[in-house]
Amino acid sequence: MQNKFSFHQSSASLEIIGLPDYSDNENEDQISIISQWKLTIVDKPLIEGKIEHLGPIMDAFYIYSNLLLKNEIPIYESKLIDIKADNLHIHNVVLKSSKPNVKPLVLKIGNSLLSDTINCFDQLNESPKVKIKKTDMPTNIPKKLRFGLKKKVKFFNFFIPPFIAICSLILFSSSFIYLYSPFENIEKKEQINPE
Amino acid sequence: MRKSFVTNNIKLKEFDALIRITVEMSKYLYPYIREILKSKEDIEENSVIWNDFNKRFIELIKERFNIDSMRVKKLLNQAENDEIIIKSLLILSFCISNQGYQKLKNFLYDF
Repeated sequence: MQNKFSFHQSSASLEIIGLPDYSDNENEDQISIISQWKLTIVDKPLIEGKIEHLGPIMDAFYIYSNLLLKNEIPIYESKLIDIKADNLHIHNVVLKSSKPNVKPLVLKIGNSLLSDTINCFDQLNESPKVKIKKTDMPTNIPKKLRFGLKKKVKFFNFFIPPFIAICSLILFSSSFIYLYSPFENIEKKEQINPE
Repeated sequence: MRKSFVTNNIKLKEFDALIRITVEMSKYLYPYIREILKSKEDIEENSVIWNDFNKRFIELIKERFNIDSMRVKKLLNQAENDEIIIKSLLILSFCISNQGYQKLKNFLYDF
């Protein structure tokens, strides 16, 4: 018997069907081996796919929502899914089939449906009953964002070592203040040159 | 930006507490947030909710914010404030999960 879990948020619903991984000592009511998933959005065609498609689709929605909020150009492109913004309220989702001669499925969703879908994915991510093994798919994240991320990492790598070095020099040299006594030096000089 | 005679900097604990309150409130108000977003999507058919929300938003800003500030003036300008309001509503609607606190914090740090 397969297990089935559903995650609902207003007009969107995500259904996960699969089996527990008994070799990993999992409980009977868990899912680790996903055999089927379905994303139902009211008034839109049913979205379903293989297990290896779920992770990239979830990532696409998360990355796109971040781009949308960060004033970046909200475009996400991959072999499996493209998401582009028509305007601030309507988003174009193009789901490409892995089978040949199958036309891509085009969906137009508004902000309300986008947030419902992301909340369904959030529920799935936070569910202790379902474990998702994410697969790596090549994506075309806008260069601007990739550059931004790399720039941040590079900046920290560049900035932190000299900063720590300067701090340690200051700390190390400040300890010598306790060893140096200016009055003793003045007395010694006076003894050498008594005028 | 607030109408206040005292300039107090917010403490880290207060900032955290405000984020937690905001996340809990957005969980509770999600159906309303969603309806406001939906109303703006098809404004020709269903403009009442968006217009009411926008009117109240501007009223509250005029009441509680320093309207001489340029940033507040931008919020009051109806041609410019649509994007700010929609993005704020989207941020709130994305942060209603159990990890919403961390998500909202990340969004605010990235803003």
